[in-house]
Amino acid sequence: MNIFLASILDAPEQYVNVFMGLLRWVAPVLVFVLLLRCIMPLMTFRREPEIWAWLRFSDDKQLPVTHWENVIGRSKNSDIVIDFPTVSRNHAVLTRYDDGSWTISDVGAKDGVRVNGKRVRIRALKPEDVICIGGVEMVLQPISAKQEQKLAQLRTKGATVFSSFFNVLLLSVFQILCAMAFLLGNGTENAVNVFLGFGGIMASQWLLLLFYICIRRTSFEVETVAFFLCTMGMAVIATIDPAETLKQLIAMILGIALFLMVGWSLRDLERAKTFRYVAAACGIGFLLITLVFGTTYYGAKNWLVIGSLSLQPSELTKVCFVFVGASAMDRIMTKRNLILFIGYSIAICGCLALMNDFGTALIFFTTFLVIAYMRSGSIGTIALALTALGFAGVVALRIAPHALQRFSSWRHIWEVPFDAGYQQTKALMCMASGGFMGLGPGRGWMKNLFAADSDVAIATVTEEWGLIMLVMIVLCIVALAVFAVRSASVGRSSFYTIGACTAASVLLVQVILNTLGTVDILPLTGVTFPFLSNGGSSMICAWGLLAFIKAADTRQNASFAVRLVKKGGLEDE
Amino acid sequence: MNRVAGRAGITLLLVLLLLVGFVLFLFEYVIKAEDWVVFDGSPHVYSGGNIGCGTVVDRDNILLLDMNGQRKYSSLEELRLSTVHWLGDRKGSINAPALPAYASELVGFDLLSGVYSYGKTGGVAQLTLSADVQTAALKAMGKYKGTIGVYNYKTGELLCAVTTPTYDPDNIPDLEKDKDGKYEGLYVNRFTQSSYTPGSIFKIVTLSAALETIPDIQKQKFVCRGSYKIGADEITCEDKHWTQDLKSAFKNSCNVAFAQIAEQIGGETLQKYARQFQITDSVQFDGITTVEGNFEVADTDSVNVAWGSIGQFTDQINPCTFMTFMGAIANGGRGVYPYVIDNISVDGLKTYHAKANTNDRIMSANTAKIVQKYLAFNVTENYGSENFPGLTVCAKTGTAEVGGGEKPNAMLTGYVADEEYPLAFIVAVENGGYGKSVCVPILSEVLAACKKAMDS
Repeated sequence: MNIFLASILDAPEQYVNVFMGLLRWVAPVLVFVLLLRCIMPLMTFRREPEIWAWLRFSDDKQLPVTHWENVIGRSKNSDIVIDFPTVSRNHAVLTRYDDGSWTISDVGAKDGVRVNGKRVRIRALKPEDVICIGGVEMVLQPISAKQEQKLAQLRTKGATVFSSFFNVLLLSVFQILCAMAFLLGNGTENAVNVFLGFGGIMASQWLLLLFYICIRRTSFEVETVAFFLCTMGMAVIATIDPAETLKQLIAMILGIALFLMVGWSLRDLERAKTFRYVAAACGIGFLLITLVFGTTYYGAKNWLVIGSLSLQPSELTKVCFVFVGASAMDRIMTKRNLILFIGYSIAICGCLALMNDFGTALIFFTTFLVIAYMRSGSIGTIALALTALGFAGVVALRIAPHALQRFSSWRHIWEVPFDAGYQQTKALMCMASGGFMGLGPGRGWMKNLFAADSDVAIATVTEEWGLIMLVMIVLCIVALAVFAVRSASVGRSSFYTIGACTAASVLLVQVILNTLGTVDILPLTGVTFPFLSNGGSSMICAWGLLAFIKAADTRQNASFAVRLVKKGGLEDE
Repeated sequence: MNRVAGRAGITLLLVLLLLVGFVLFLFEYVIKAEDWVVFDGSPHVYSGGNIGCGTVVDRDNILLLDMNGQRKYSSLEELRLSTVHWLGDRKGSINAPALPAYASELVGFDLLSGVYSYGKTGGVAQLTLSADVQTAALKAMGKYKGTIGVYNYKTGELLCAVTTPTYDPDNIPDLEKDKDGKYEGLYVNRFTQSSYTPGSIFKIVTLSAALETIPDIQKQKFVCRGSYKIGADEITCEDKHWTQDLKSAFKNSCNVAFAQIAEQIGGETLQKYARQFQITDSVQFDGITTVEGNFEVADTDSVNVAWGSIGQFTDQINPCTFMTFMGAIANGGRGVYPYVIDNISVDGLKTYHAKANTNDRIMSANTAKIVQKYLAFNVTENYGSENFPGLTVCAKTGTAEVGGGEKPNAMLTGYVADEEYPLAFIVAVENGGYGKSVCVPILSEVLAACKKAMDS
């Protein structure tokens, strides 16, 4: 090993140049193939309608029940439409549980819901129970266990073990090439850090895949994409600040731990609903702790410094916020629940205002909008909220000259290249210098620029790996978001769908602010790029959010956050 | 669930926002990346205020500067001294914009590869200057301050452009210790960035204007008794030239005769012609803009018109611009602009190649032909053809009073009439004394070096 290493490090310059020259072409092709293999299944998986039960009416007519959560009502948007004048627009919610049991709940209809003649608010359904909604009587007939087995067999499968294995292998080849490039280019100086960084990611991804295989889950596309982004982040750190590779690796491992924990808590909807309260308490708690004990960096009080460790608890609050925002259908249909959530959002917003962190506040606000819309479906609410933001924004800009300065140079950075536009103009110069194919790892200038591995990390990637790599990185996040949206129509619960779409939205907003801010399409707000930017809290948060996207993956045997249906009943914990 | 699934579309709105913004950026990138790469302070192109990549060679491929890393100049001191004002120093003390003007050609930027170049960065910029002529010219200038410029008036190639005082970029002098003004204006490229009182070389302008406006001027006789009264004032001559025709008056550089000619032309017309001859204009080439000159006699007393017509009063000319004017005369009234960057190549591929940039006609061919004849006459009858063996030189000297008890500036300008050596030149020596005695020997050495460089 030592001899091998020594032979790499002592390679004559012309060999290094040949290697680097080849890597400029090999790397994007390799990554393209890898991402194509990961993203295509996410974009194209079939979403065939599934029938979970039948509603039989007194006139022997039957209606299929195609979801786990079904709104019954007169409205055309209902999952089960009963066009009868005495039925309310949204009358009741019919919910299926993991164990195959069903409940019916009244969501505030004038006439209420009756089961076997008794008015109920919520009631578990037994076979042959007669449900009466607005005078219309019906009986729920769930499919048999055998039919359920059949359904599982027909459902689109997650990726095969071999396919996931091959993808991780491809990613490993890329990681080895990365490590070699840095070792060849920079010599022994940071060899240990480079080894730790790339080797650590490689080991983590193999271990996680092994764990999945053990619990009979085979889909690894979402995780592979995340590991790829982490690898690019490591490549940025290896060039900007090699001493930090270990720190970032530890953050990634903690992130994976959070990912598994959130995923586990989402496995059981009832458990997830309980966890919401814990998440709500943690979310606000993190912010309050920051407000009391926090340290102010660059005008924003969002850092918690413990010894040599500095944390950004507001990042973890994002995960909590998504948790709190998600809600099952029977709760969505009642107004009280939304009011509680608005109250909670206002509390979070107040903390953020005191922390004076503009970028984070914007992310939370957008997240709030997404949740509010998904729960209420009301454009009016969103319009009001946007107007409120407009006013708040104007007031904030009047008060905070720091933010105002950022806005004043927006789209004018080339007029103040040595002043307010310094960071962005230098970033763009370097991005342009990299061209489509990049200058090669470790060969950029960005290390001389402030926040080159966080706020403007994409410039470092583009300079050294090329614009094509940046396009692929941005498309990774787009793919995760589109996947979350696509999964919505076969979602088991609105809890998962809202969770996944909101988590994807948080990732998207971060990418929008980070990427478009760096290149002066938007003002620079100092937001991190998920998985890519150097920053422990940000990395942990990104993995936490990924768990929500993973939990929405209903393909057979795909997600550890979804229980398997076994022959003998439900999978154990 | 149908409803929530439908509302999931809001996430797609954010996807759309991201994609629209990102495509907008990609669009900007494709259009502007080249500008960004060569923008002032771009890290891969500049180091400090200088270009930080590529090499510079002279017209014979002699290495003048390697711009990579810490900038490596020629190993020859005299070559460093004679070219530093074109190449700039490490600190960026000199305004040398020619190389930065071609930054994008020099780095060999393209969208696909950016500034990546296999194993190294940057191309080769070939100057029109000749290392041999530069060193010869520097030697000929000796301790004088001033400038010499020689260019090919057919193509525009600048063969020689030396400015003094100069310094060694590898051994920068301590200006704090300069008490006697030895390094005055050290960082100025006098050829492009200074203006001088022209003295009698300006008589070429007055002569040309007279030929264009006064039909019988060549038949007129001018009497010089050493001085000429205009109102209460007096124009004086070094000598009494007595009766002379125009040609002799020009050869004698007779102030009295030219004062009379200026009276006939009138201030307004003279100024109009100076403008037409572009005497005070900036010349622009390779990112360089020469300083403007000055000639204001339209609204002044006739004595000032007379002083102005012989290159005194408030007259100021830039050496490069005046040399270009001489090129136009040599070319029959229509000149070419000079240039200093001949070509740039990256990895053997030409990314830039200079072309002759022809000016508009500034005077009639007939006028140019007569001025040519008179300038030739000056050399054969006054300055001595023997000073320029093998070359047919046509020229005019000047001795420009600068006041303040200082010695006058010595000036000399003209061109070589030979087909094989189409060279126009200017020599300006600050506080040198007489144009003829100071400038002619300098020019003699420089033109010999030019001839040798062109023969090889």
